[in-house]
Amino acid sequence: MDFAFTKEQLMFKKEIIRFAKKEIVPRIQEHDLKKQFDFESFKKLGEFGILGLHFPEEYGGSGADVITTVMAGEALGEAGVDGGLTLAYGAHTFLCADTIFSHGTEAQRKKYIPKLASGEWIGCMGLTEPNAGSDVASMTTTAEKKDGKYVLNGSKIFITNGPIADVAVIYAKTDPSQKHTGISAFIVEKGTPGFASGPNLIKMGVSTSQTSELFLNNCEIPAENMLGREGEGFNMSLQTVEWDRSALLAPFVGASTYMLNRCVEYASSREQFGRKIGQFQAIKQKIANIRIFGEAARNLVYRIAWCKNQGRPMNHLEAAVAKLFVGDWSLAPANDAVVLFGGYGYCHEYDMERIFRDSRLAPIGGGTSDIQKMIISKLM
Amino acid sequence: MNYDFSDKEFNLFVEIHTLMGTFAKENDLETKDAEKSEKNTRRALALLSRTPYLTLGIEKADNYNGLLTLMGGMETIAAASPSLFLSIETSTRIFGRILSAWGSASQKEKLLPALLNGQIIGAVGLSEDAMNVDNDPLMTTAVMDGDSAIISGHKQYVVNGPVADWLAVAGRLDGKNAIFLVEKGTQGLSIGGKAATLGYEGVAISNLMFENCAIASSQVIFPENDKTMLTTLKLWENQILIGASLGLMKRAFESAKVYAKKHKTGGKPIIAYQEVGFKLAQMLTLFQASQLFAYKVAWAADAEPKDIESLTLCAKVFCTEAAEQVAGDAMKILGGSGFLSGNPVEEAFRCAKYGQIAGTSTEISRVKIGDSALGLMK
Ligand SMILES: Cc1cc2nc3c(=O)[nH]c(=O)nc-3n(C[C@H](O)[C@H](O)[C@H](O)COP(=O)(O)OP(=O)(O)OC[C@H]3O[C@@H](n4cnc5c(N)ncnc54)[C@H](O)[C@@H]3O)c2cc1C
Ligand SMILES: Cc1cc2nc3c(=O)[nH]c(=O)nc-3n(C[C@H](O)[C@H](O)[C@H](O)COP(=O)(O)OP(=O)(O)OC[C@H]3O[C@@H](n4cnc5c(N)ncnc54)[C@H](O)[C@@H]3O)c2cc1C
Repeated sequence: MDFAFTKEQLMFKKEIIRFAKKEIVPRIQEHDLKKQFDFESFKKLGEFGILGLHFPEEYGGSGADVITTVMAGEALGEAGVDGGLTLAYGAHTFLCADTIFSHGTEAQRKKYIPKLASGEWIGCMGLTEPNAGSDVASMTTTAEKKDGKYVLNGSKIFITNGPIADVAVIYAKTDPSQKHTGISAFIVEKGTPGFASGPNLIKMGVSTSQTSELFLNNCEIPAENMLGREGEGFNMSLQTVEWDRSALLAPFVGASTYMLNRCVEYASSREQFGRKIGQFQAIKQKIANIRIFGEAARNLVYRIAWCKNQGRPMNHLEAAVAKLFVGDWSLAPANDAVVLFGGYGYCHEYDMERIFRDSRLAPIGGGTSDIQKMIISKLM
Repeated sequence: MNYDFSDKEFNLFVEIHTLMGTFAKENDLETKDAEKSEKNTRRALALLSRTPYLTLGIEKADNYNGLLTLMGGMETIAAASPSLFLSIETSTRIFGRILSAWGSASQKEKLLPALLNGQIIGAVGLSEDAMNVDNDPLMTTAVMDGDSAIISGHKQYVVNGPVADWLAVAGRLDGKNAIFLVEKGTQGLSIGGKAATLGYEGVAISNLMFENCAIASSQVIFPENDKTMLTTLKLWENQILIGASLGLMKRAFESAKVYAKKHKTGGKPIIAYQEVGFKLAQMLTLFQASQLFAYKVAWAADAEPKDIESLTLCAKVFCTEAAEQVAGDAMKILGGSGFLSGNPVEEAFRCAKYGQIAGTSTEISRVKIGDSALGLMK
């Protein structure tokens, strides 16, 4: 065992933090308040190389290993980047682009990956439906093959980047009589007749990410827009789970470091009863709890990254453990951070309330904590 | 980065698991009888001395990964018997490391081989009237008289006190921190009876009294760094308590899992009910998070020691609190049978509280972690 990051990885992390603090963080509060997507920041993520980090260079990426890629997510969180932008990045790069890269034909890769890696196009992924969330296999969106084309009908909900995406990976049943094995994956482009998105849903947190319904109404797409073969869709969605449990969780780990640093700063300057509040044991205790959570979570997240980097088949139990831990154990430290800032913690300006709201997605998105417990209890 | 133990480490864990597992089955290791617990510790030390286990963290062992391998081994032994574990580790890893880290060549020569061969048992006297040794200076003191150091004072809660051949006693001499090596039977040393405790009942714990207890000056150790002696001793104790927590969780979780799969109500194994299955999932999550945390701090102690004190305290708080949670939940899964005395789960539950109290208490740990983050740590 060896928990060391390489020098290069650590230097790269510092670089990202510097970049994000300068280029992204100053605009967050404004966009979060207005619940607006920050196109400029997204573009900058692309220019810096983060959106396509792990793709090979010939597709516009940098060929980074999994650990470095996950570290980029942690670095964004640590710099203070909001959960909305990191979610938009995660949905774009891992749920959409990586699915195309991993299962697409050479032509599909060439067509989509460079544009997604640069941020010229925005991607999304539609799996969840109004009546099929945790129970994915009960989805009712269909894809019927007709005259060398597929005709999609149904709707999706809670789709990150839905209202702004140029490209969507859509899961639909090619065989509605089957459960998991009837699901296939398709690439659907914005502007395709019969494809529309709903308005941005107003959410508790991750507010700068745009979330909506997607509607497929006799939406015809060429047969070559299918990813892989019929019936392989569910397995593709499972493969993104590895990214979901590493790269998409990493920003939460980073955000806990950001909280820790901000709390330390605040506790060192705020005075009450003639002393810095950092001198009260109750404040030290909160700071300790935030640090303990972050340290514990980091190990779990990088374990998934390391295993993936080794090319091991995914360990579903370990992935669910990481997701459950970050989801359920992040509430108390996020709450501690809000309370440590007192009345200011409850106000937007001090970031803690935003992180608190953003962190509440962790036990819901990408499979709720209950579903993680279900997976773990079945596998043990 | 690498999240796997090596094959060699893994083989060592299997070897000591087999040794100690068999030993635990054949002997009452949670006995309240001090004589029997002494016998148990001596026999276990002799068994373990056939493996490289006792030397880990003390001597350089080729192909093993120092404290990291040790942490994996500690988990294995603590799962087999918490009491035996505490007794063995206090002797080997605290008494032993005092010698190996700070002892003179002749002190080492005299005691270390015997300790690592399992021929002698060591104990460490640190705590006095309060655990908060940082704020309260040690009251045990020695004065020089010719070539002798004359010790006066008292210690409480000393693991192995009644069974140890040698005691390492922290105190003050000439205005400095020192450790006094005192052999059993030395005049002026009196050892209290075995204390009755909530958990770790198989460990002989007692008070020590020193009244004009004379030892040769060659039995005094001045640690390399006077200022950090107490924190280093606490660090070593905390590492052991982290290892103990992993073992407690392992036995509690495994017992509950096996029971939940086997025990049926309403025609179904109880693991099929979410109240049980999901509880097990949370327990496993805490256990795995604790394992990685423990391995990480063990690794960091050797590889990146810059922040090791506060990082270890983080793991100590997390693992010892997780152990109580996991053991408590395991008891609920076992239902009435979990509440009956003498099963591994209720034993783990009773032992778990100790980890939060001993070493650096979880309260003081949090204060120190906070101080370290705030840049206030001394
Ligand atoms: C901000 C945000 C962004 C999202 N982005 C995307 C996206 O980009 N693409 C996408 O496809 N989806 C996305 N999702 C959807 C997300 O994955 C789902 O919300 C999630 O999987 C839960 O599904 P649901 O909302 O339908 O809840 P339900 O499945 O209806 O669950 C409701 C409650 O019942 C519990 N429950 C359900 N089944 C069980 C069971 N068997 N045992 C015990 N308890 C159970 C759940 O834990 C939950 O508490 C996003 C969601 C949010 C909030
Ligand atoms: C079974 C057992 C075995 C032991 N074995 C050994 C051994 O082998 N060798 C050894 O040297 N010691 C040993 N100890 C001692 C142990 O490490 C503690 O010192 C002792 O249990 C607690 O001391 P105390 O009750 O005086 O606590 P106190 O220091 O009086 O603390 C009481 C309470 O106040 C809290 N507290 C105290 N000061 C502060 C502060 N500044 N800030 C915040 N909170 C504070 C504590 O967390 C605790 O909750 C053992 C203890 C036990 C119970």
